[in-house]
Amino acid sequence: MPRLSDTMESGTIVRWNVKEGDAVKSGMVVADIETDKATMEMPVFDDGKILKLLVPAGQQVKVGTQIALILEDGESLDGAQTETHSGAQNVEPIDAQAGEILQSNGARVRVSPVARRIAEQERVDLASLQGSGPGGRIIKRDVMNALENRGATPASQTTESARASSMSSSAPQSSTPAHVTVSSSLAVPVTPTHRAGGLVVAGLQSTEVAVSSMRQIIAKRLVESKTTIPHYQVSMKFELDRLMALREQLNSELAGMGIKLSVNDFIVRGCALSMAKHPYVNASWAGEKILMHQQVNVGVAVALDEEKGGGLLVAVIRDVDRKSLRVISSETKALSEKARTRGLSMEDISDSTFTVSNLGMFGVEHFTAIINPPNSAILACGAALKQPVVRDDQLTIGYEMTVTLSLDHRVIDGAMAARWLNTLKRLLENPATLLV
Amino acid sequence: MSATQELEFRDAIRDAMSEEMRRDKRVMLIGEEVAEYNGAYKVSRGMLDEFGPRRVIDTPISESGFAGMAIGAAMLGLRPVVEFMSWSFSLVAADPILNNAPKMLFMSGGQFGCPIVFRGNDGAGGQLGSTHSWSVEGLFSNVPGIKIVIPSTPADAKGLMKTAIRDDDPVFFLESERMLGMKGDVPVGEDVLVKFGQALIRREGADCTLASWGRPVHFCMEAAQELAKEGISCEVIDLRTIRPLDIGCIERSVRKTSNLVIVDQSWSFGSPGSEVAAQIHQRCFDDLDNHVHRVHAEDVPAPYAYNLEQEYLPNTRKICEAVRSATYNS
Repeated sequence: MPRLSDTMESGTIVRWNVKEGDAVKSGMVVADIETDKATMEMPVFDDGKILKLLVPAGQQVKVGTQIALILEDGESLDGAQTETHSGAQNVEPIDAQAGEILQSNGARVRVSPVARRIAEQERVDLASLQGSGPGGRIIKRDVMNALENRGATPASQTTESARASSMSSSAPQSSTPAHVTVSSSLAVPVTPTHRAGGLVVAGLQSTEVAVSSMRQIIAKRLVESKTTIPHYQVSMKFELDRLMALREQLNSELAGMGIKLSVNDFIVRGCALSMAKHPYVNASWAGEKILMHQQVNVGVAVALDEEKGGGLLVAVIRDVDRKSLRVISSETKALSEKARTRGLSMEDISDSTFTVSNLGMFGVEHFTAIINPPNSAILACGAALKQPVVRDDQLTIGYEMTVTLSLDHRVIDGAMAARWLNTLKRLLENPATLLV
Repeated sequence: MSATQELEFRDAIRDAMSEEMRRDKRVMLIGEEVAEYNGAYKVSRGMLDEFGPRRVIDTPISESGFAGMAIGAAMLGLRPVVEFMSWSFSLVAADPILNNAPKMLFMSGGQFGCPIVFRGNDGAGGQLGSTHSWSVEGLFSNVPGIKIVIPSTPADAKGLMKTAIRDDDPVFFLESERMLGMKGDVPVGEDVLVKFGQALIRREGADCTLASWGRPVHFCMEAAQELAKEGISCEVIDLRTIRPLDIGCIERSVRKTSNLVIVDQSWSFGSPGSEVAAQIHQRCFDDLDNHVHRVHAEDVPAPYAYNLEQEYLPNTRKICEAVRSATYNS
């Protein structure tokens, strides 16, 4: 399993594009790998023949695990078959030799030696257990509880009661206790439905859904963001009459070229242009320093199909301040489409400096978003809605949109946020400036 | 089971020495006040009367001198028992007892053995102050060539003393002034011996092994009783000799309980306790549910004040705390 991103600790084979016996050439994409960030294509670097696929599709393995064997021209089959055997051991979910069992969030699982040994013998998936020892260490009791919950008693444990012997007796006593051995024929892994420590509510029927690595990474990063970044929000209403009119005009002109600009495209461009005056909104907190980014790369949150389990990707449009509305629009569309079908590459999701999240297409008026680290701000955009508005002391009908900026107070103060919003307001309310 | 009689610890030792002196004319007792005064702690009561001043010999206060003399006697064929009033005083005899006796067989290429027993009181607990409260097993167990016996009951004291006198190597026999008056059933019979290197399981249990020797074994038994009320079942192992060490007994127990607490009244740094811990970590690594815990004397000179001395030594409370921690019940 290759390391396809800096933070990748394990990967899931989504699909093998080859089968055993197939000839492969260097550069050929042989598998799709789901990492913590994206689904990526995995090319091979050698010419040869696929001798064995060691990890089936759907299985998650650690980086560095052998996943396939390629027989190069001139290599003997005998030697390779020995490797097949040792390679196959690497994909065992519990590998005592390596000693590295990873929790779903990628953290190393701490296990007492005897707990590890019993888990191995009884095939208990340690990654599914909650350790009750210090620092979350999984101890014997935790494994025994898991075994009890699945109804088996481990073969090697005794259930004898303590018997006190007299202190004054003189002859050595037998130290062999009466072993009660119960053999376990049910060497099945603990299934999630039997898992101890889960939330159990009488009468509530629930089904369990396995969490994809994307969902895991969303959970991990958003908890990290919300718990470590001092968030605050600033909202503002924009009048969008002129923008809506301009958009209608442009779209009718460009319809023949298959171009349809969205309100979001204007917003993305407006955000990028606002950074020139307020560079701190385009920065990252980096502990003892703040990184002022020299590019404006705007991430656009893309929701994936709910039927497929949902999920969220942030597609990154690079150098937005130097791109026209048309380019922004087409790149955003292409990336959204790619995200929903094939998955995004590392390049597609790296290096954002600011993020825009838009629920306007669902009619949402107002919401707040969680900052996408290492960004310092994210803009949550509601719908451009026809509203009764006051213009020139007259009550009339106009388009209004509410945006809410979430900010990292370590980098951006309230007044800075308000000024940035005013700049964006000026740009969006006078949208012709976005065209130049 | 043979007949038993109830004896004090001191009398069990005396009986062992007397029986061996009757059995073997080469055996003799030498030390400060062992003869006329019947022993500073009355261990050798009646022995001068029975065996006379040629075999029960009072010495001046000169440990280095009489220890060295006894070693010479052992090399020439006698089997002396040397009483140190306290093992703390043996330190002035360090050269003969540590630097000569244990190495004699080795250095003489097998020409001279050294069948000698050094015995006396070891350990704190009687408010004797820092210099008289040594637990010398911490120091002496480091030396190859010595056998170290630390009994916890009158029966073991007698059986082990007889084995010590019959042994052909130097044996350090560590008694406790705090236990000399303790009574216990002792098997009757001149040939009831307790072998070296055979630990005894004093109490069986399932959750945690307590390994100790000498006086702290009794604290372990108290702790085990206390912990049983909390549902923690302790197995108490009395090692009886720490050289040779019955590591196999502890190993088998730890494979069952997955936890070990060692109780050792010597200081922790480089001690029998640290040695047992190291060996068990090596032998039972995959059987341990927690690292081996140790209860030792605190790492300071023994205090004189009663309350401080009690806190300085391993005690029942500290053992209970260690077991709770080792078994994740704290």
